[in-house]
Amino acid sequence: MKRILLILLFGQATVFAQDDLFQLLGDDANYKISSTFKGVKIVNGQSVELVNKGDLLFLIQHRFGTLNSGVYNLYGLDNAQVRFGLDYGVNDWVTIGLGRSSFLKTIDANSKIKLVAQSKGKDAFPFSLVCYSSVFFKQSIWEDMQEESYVLTDQISYVYQFLVARKVNSNLSVQISPTIVHKNVVAKDGVHDLLSIGLGIRHKLTSRISVNAEYFLQLNEAENTDALSIGVDIETGGHVFQLHLSNSAAMFERAFIHETNGNWLDGGIYFGFNISRVFTLAK
Amino acid sequence: MNKIIFFILLCSSNIYSQRFITKEAKITFFSEAPIEDISAKNTKVKAVYDSDTKQLVFQLNISDFIFPKPLMQEHFNENYLESDRFPKAFFSGIVGQLNESASAIGTLKIHGESNEIEVVGSLEKVKNIVNINATFIIQLKDYKIKIPKLVMYNIAEKIEVTVEAELKKIR
Repeated sequence: MKRILLILLFGQATVFAQDDLFQLLGDDANYKISSTFKGVKIVNGQSVELVNKGDLLFLIQHRFGTLNSGVYNLYGLDNAQVRFGLDYGVNDWVTIGLGRSSFLKTIDANSKIKLVAQSKGKDAFPFSLVCYSSVFFKQSIWEDMQEESYVLTDQISYVYQFLVARKVNSNLSVQISPTIVHKNVVAKDGVHDLLSIGLGIRHKLTSRISVNAEYFLQLNEAENTDALSIGVDIETGGHVFQLHLSNSAAMFERAFIHETNGNWLDGGIYFGFNISRVFTLAK
Repeated sequence: MNKIIFFILLCSSNIYSQRFITKEAKITFFSEAPIEDISAKNTKVKAVYDSDTKQLVFQLNISDFIFPKPLMQEHFNENYLESDRFPKAFFSGIVGQLNESASAIGTLKIHGESNEIEVVGSLEKVKNIVNINATFIIQLKDYKIKIPKLVMYNIAEKIEVTVEAELKKIR
């Protein structure tokens, strides 16, 4: 009996001591971590960011020629590659997109699905997990298509990525992107499936400016250089400007991961930028 | 002995019975801006009122504010309120009478900055329910919320905040 009394008294005491009504409110909140990266791309590769539901993102990517191409080519500025892309947020966890690169005249159709968002609080999860896949179709001229050896499916290649990212703190975000590229057609004795692993990092300098870097390590049959890119993101409301240097001229996965020729050491570096603009279509 | 226990239990239930709580109060804010008015709504605000001590507290998660445009919401969390560093906002004050209306004087903490404020509104107690309504203005600079010069949404220095809460007695 005394024990019960003691417990009751104890309970009583805590009630009295609870000057702070905040304790009654508790904390059962779950905070989703937002803005792991500024843009849907870190530089060339995909980030874990999706387009918001009902938003249309218009992305212009531009790469000039190499810096070592001499004053005659104004150090690369005379040449340019471009990719136009449109990405639409079907809902908060699915984005679909279409793009076309002038480099290799390639059209891409892609989708990005957010499996889990990093969160803290009640149901905390330490990473954001996103699946990305894209189909690449190389355009051909009419004469080539008349050839007997022409097969439409030979023009197609694919990429599948599993993006794992963590916003370590409000300034630092890191991402690992295991990647498979599949080519329908390869040279004799070539492999159809190329494996690579991407590493991405973002460090925020101010709330609107960040430094990004990205590296893709080829794991099998590496005949070309690994792509390394370094850039700066500048955000101004509805636009994100990304300025960068990369040893890759291409802007779609198959080409920039496995067909990069530039070499950082001898100045085979391309200056380039991405500009994105968001249009809110749905209210 | 049994009487004592009964008395204690009675006391404790009394203490609770003076308190009113909600976890779905509504706070909206509105700001007139040249290009586009900015508004947001949070319907997951928690509040407790103690009618004995006249203490009133509010607590909300910054990331629970819903904007008409998702990009606005992202900028609000990422650039203005820095909700990963300061995930919550609090108010803690004492309710008093001011002519016909009620007034609450206390501390409002947003973006890690605390300010003493006085809010005039209404507080009505009907049976087991307390209704609270209030509208007040806050200055962004009081809470060290910076407005960069180069932005799409020109944001006003002053924000109008509206509170609607229906608190139920704790049993």
